[in-house]
Amino acid sequence: MVSPAIALAFLPLLLTLIIRYRYYFVLFYRAVLVRIWKDCVTGLSREERAFQYVLTNSTPGDPDSILDAFDYWSSKVEFISNIGPKKGKILDRLLMEQSPLTVLELGAHCGYSTVRIARALPLGARLYSIEMDQGNAAIAEKIIRLAGFDDDTVELIVNPSDEVIPRLRSDYNLERLDFVFMDHWKKCYLPDLQLLEGYGLLGKGSMIVADNVLFPGAPKFLRYLRKCGLYEWKIHRATLEYSKGIRDGMAELIYQGIK
Amino acid sequence: MPGDTLITSENDTDIELDFAGVEDFQENHKREKHYGKRRNGDRQQNKRENQRRKRSSKSVQGIREESQSKTERRERSRRRKGKAEHETSGHEGNKRERDQTRAKSTKSKKNIKNEKTRKLEGKEDGEAQEKSEKGKLKLVCAKNEEKIESGDQLKEKEKALGVKKKKKRRKKVVETSSEPETSEDGDDEEEVNNDGEVRPELLSPEELEKLKEAVDEKKKLIQSLRGKPWPMKQKLVTLRESQLFVEKYEGALGKGKGRKLYAYKVMMTKKWMKFQRDFENFKTACIPWEMKIKEIESHFGSSVASYFIFLRWMYSINMILFGLTFGLVMVPEALMGRPYGSIPRKTVPRAEEAGAMDFAVLWDFGGYAQYSVLFYGYYNNQRAIGWFKFRMPLSYFLVGVGTVAYSYMVVIRTMARNANESGIGDDNSFNFSWKMFTSWDYLIGNPETADNKFASITTSFKEAILEEQESRKDDNIHLTRFLRVLANFLVLCCLAGSGYLIYFVVRRSQKFALDGLENHSWWERNEVNMVMSLLGMFCPMLFDVISTLENYHPRVALQWQLGRIFALFLGNLYTFIIALMDAINLKRKEEKVVKYNITMWEASLYNGTGSENSTAPPITIHPADVPRGPCWETMVGQEFVRLIISDTMTTYITLLIGDFLRAVLVRFLNHCWCWDLEAGFPSYSEFDVSGNVLGLIFNQGMIWMGAFYAPCLPALNLLRLHVSMYLQCWAVMCCNVPQERVFKASGSNNFYMAMLLVILFLSTLPAIYTIVTIPPSFDCGPFSGKNRMFDVIQETLESDFPAWFSKVFSYASNPGLVLPFILLMVLAIYYLQSTSKSYKEANVELKKKLQMQNEENKKKNKQAALKAQMDLEEARKSASQTAVHQRNNNDSVQRREDDEEIDNKNQRMYHGRNPSPSVGNREPHFPVRDPGPRNAHNGNHGNPRYLPGFHQQSEPRMCRVPSLERH
Repeated sequence: MVSPAIALAFLPLLLTLIIRYRYYFVLFYRAVLVRIWKDCVTGLSREERAFQYVLTNSTPGDPDSILDAFDYWSSKVEFISNIGPKKGKILDRLLMEQSPLTVLELGAHCGYSTVRIARALPLGARLYSIEMDQGNAAIAEKIIRLAGFDDDTVELIVNPSDEVIPRLRSDYNLERLDFVFMDHWKKCYLPDLQLLEGYGLLGKGSMIVADNVLFPGAPKFLRYLRKCGLYEWKIHRATLEYSKGIRDGMAELIYQGIK
Repeated sequence: MPGDTLITSENDTDIELDFAGVEDFQENHKREKHYGKRRNGDRQQNKRENQRRKRSSKSVQGIREESQSKTERRERSRRRKGKAEHETSGHEGNKRERDQTRAKSTKSKKNIKNEKTRKLEGKEDGEAQEKSEKGKLKLVCAKNEEKIESGDQLKEKEKALGVKKKKKRRKKVVETSSEPETSEDGDDEEEVNNDGEVRPELLSPEELEKLKEAVDEKKKLIQSLRGKPWPMKQKLVTLRESQLFVEKYEGALGKGKGRKLYAYKVMMTKKWMKFQRDFENFKTACIPWEMKIKEIESHFGSSVASYFIFLRWMYSINMILFGLTFGLVMVPEALMGRPYGSIPRKTVPRAEEAGAMDFAVLWDFGGYAQYSVLFYGYYNNQRAIGWFKFRMPLSYFLVGVGTVAYSYMVVIRTMARNANESGIGDDNSFNFSWKMFTSWDYLIGNPETADNKFASITTSFKEAILEEQESRKDDNIHLTRFLRVLANFLVLCCLAGSGYLIYFVVRRSQKFALDGLENHSWWERNEVNMVMSLLGMFCPMLFDVISTLENYHPRVALQWQLGRIFALFLGNLYTFIIALMDAINLKRKEEKVVKYNITMWEASLYNGTGSENSTAPPITIHPADVPRGPCWETMVGQEFVRLIISDTMTTYITLLIGDFLRAVLVRFLNHCWCWDLEAGFPSYSEFDVSGNVLGLIFNQGMIWMGAFYAPCLPALNLLRLHVSMYLQCWAVMCCNVPQERVFKASGSNNFYMAMLLVILFLSTLPAIYTIVTIPPSFDCGPFSGKNRMFDVIQETLESDFPAWFSKVFSYASNPGLVLPFILLMVLAIYYLQSTSKSYKEANVELKKKLQMQNEENKKKNKQAALKAQMDLEEARKSASQTAVHQRNNNDSVQRREDDEEIDNKNQRMYHGRNPSPSVGNREPHFPVRDPGPRNAHNGNHGNPRYLPGFHQQSEPRMCRVPSLERH
């Protein structure tokens, strides 16, 4: 039988762990526990709840108000892994500088980042957004239409990215992508990037932005970047969306081609 | 001539090589083309010059052509042959064109080669001319010549460069082809050197003279290289080439008979240097763990390495402590003392005999381990043992005192040495310069660590800039202060809590001890040690977390952290000692009872026997059955040994679980986890320098405290250090990542030493207290039967030394003599202290003075530069006005040549004519003057004649590092 004094000696360890990893515990609570509980209580999925909130709390046709509503819901009510306002600003800046004409988005989720990108696009630009999940895609579609972007600006493709990318050139008449935004499964970052390279969709100067390369993390992707030498790349360090203490980063790649 | 045969043979190989090594040739060709471009410009000038020259010194040239040096001739013949060879091989279609261009280029090269020889002579000519001619003509002439010559010189250098490179390359190729294994650089160089040493014997005196000249030329070039207006790359290449050239041919220039000796000497010095280098390597290999530590240093920076160096140092000290105790106490007792089982103190009591060999008992250092040389109680109080009368009790006492004294000496000596090294550094001034020039850790050899270091330097810059801004802004200071106070409050709470917990546990353990330890579980028996180890492990983590509140610089934070852990460990240790004191008192009470009982028991024994037969021999009782006292000294020793063991175990287990297991999990679960384990949440652990250092220090403190009662402690500690050296080295390299904020350990070494000293002092206090105040047990240990332990000295003095010695000693220990002596020592210390202080002040003063002088020099230079500029302007103006009077002036210039003023005028006139001369061009306008032994940085302005403003500067410039070109 372990004596209570020895158990008490573990108290500092417990305290240390709790203090050091408090943000992770909070995240766990908000992203997992609250979600499960709400799922049981309301019978709706998380994305549907978010959509309901946005529908009731934003002005249709105004992307800004939709984004604000999303941000409020994700930071105060529940957690949903959008790109968030802080990293979103970086994304906006990059889009402004690049002003791309063909944009590919991998992983629309519920349309937050799609709206964000579409808002910053120049006139005549076209955004192809790929979402694998049917339900999420339906919500994303609604959100995009709510924000006032039509089919000419944003095209939502409901299919896994590794199926869509090989067909981009034939089905969608795409020659070159100016801007690619990756925010889907972290494990797919690397294969999708290699697919893009393989099908020649990237030209010199094409920019690829990958979110969440540090916290959920895409180590293989980063390792590949370090090794291959095809890109000029850097990581914008920030924190995880709607959370203060968890470090995260957004990788910005510019395709240089083979020299 | 024997040389010819040698040369031809070499040429043959060369040609074959040329034939075979097309790539090599191509490269050469390219380079030549490259040089050719530059040369083309010069060539016309040269032609002009040559024609002029030819007129004046045709005959000389003829002779020269005849007596070209053998090296050059060889070069030429080789080239010629090569050319021919290539022309013959030119049948191979696509090669032809290339060969033709090559032939051209070699031709041009030859031309230039000739010009080079001509040029040397031309210089002399020019000087002669200048001396004979006067007036304007001379000036113009000299100017032109100099211009040409400077160009020539440059070109010649490139030329020599190219030629030499080529030569070297060929030689290299020859070598590799003949013996492909030895293609190392060193061998190449040796080969070249040997060539350089062999060849001069084949040269005629004239050629030697020429060679000498060329070497001198090169030397001059090396000296004046700094002032040349060339790009850095060219400078470096030229420098290297010239140095090689000088090195190669200088040896050849010894005179006559001495030449061979010289060559021999050079060879021997080379060999000697190589040997020295090898010997250094060997010495490094002999230092234990040096390579391991270096490797860690290269991966983790010097702060982590400093821990391992400290560990090694500790190991060496413990080695000596172990040698003393083992050699002078344990071994004599084991060999010469009475054997086990002869007397009660050397026998396991009957009650414990059954389980005396159980592992659990032995692990607790009971049973046979307790009744062995490992502990105090085993030693006999026999004055002298063995055939050469080894004074065991005296030796025991002196070794106890000696180990402590030795430790003090070593620690203080190391501290003093470190203090010398650290010098007088004021961290506050030149903060950014320090950061700029000294923040890189040159021992880092790992790209990842280098990245981290780079990042940490950048962040430190950012932080420093922020700090500077904040120190001006001075807002938010209240919040910071509040946070710091709060952090300290939390830490204090934590300390108090841990102290109370230990106190509670110790009290409980006393209760258990009264009940009898056998009734309690292993957990309860080892509660004190467990709790102490656990607290010592986990509280620092908590402190670390709390200290993030304070927002200190990492170095400051480290010191705070060290201080806090120090307080924690000290508190724990002293709680432990107080508990031990209580236990000692208990034991002594018990001892009194036992002593009384024993006398009763003996009396009853004798009475019982006496009643039967008074003359019968005393009944022999087996020593295991004799009742005995509790022997508190052994108890203390056992406690310390147990503490050390449990501490070691906790350290290793933490290492294995906290570092190794974590690393394994992170590494292998990363494939199937939903986030990146390596970069994110658990990650790999960092090496905790402060915790480890303090653990080591406190461990040592316990050794010092307990070594008197358990002579086995130094041996145990040695084992522990040895194991932990390997284990931690392995753990660091295999499961830790470099710290995110790599910082240098500079200055913290003495901090560790100071802590060690404090611990040493604090740990000797209780030991001395027990030795001085508590009487030793009556039936165990070397001092049994004495009133106090130190009585052994008096006893020795009385019985082993002659009477006069004890008399002298008693006089010497007379307070009337001791007090003045102490007074004298205090005075001496005071005197030394004050002198060192005054030295320090003087140092600071000197530093200030240097700084002032520097600033003054800077000012002066600035003024001089300004003045020079003004002069220049003035000269330009006056030049346009006095264009007519120039020639007259020039005459006067020539008459008073060494007058500086007139030189200035000259300069002005020159500027008047050519309004935009660069600094580098100005230099060669006065070829009459020997450039002399110019200093490296004086190349431009050191010679006052060339720049009018700088002749005021006479003081040495302290801010510069002199003679950089030698590095």
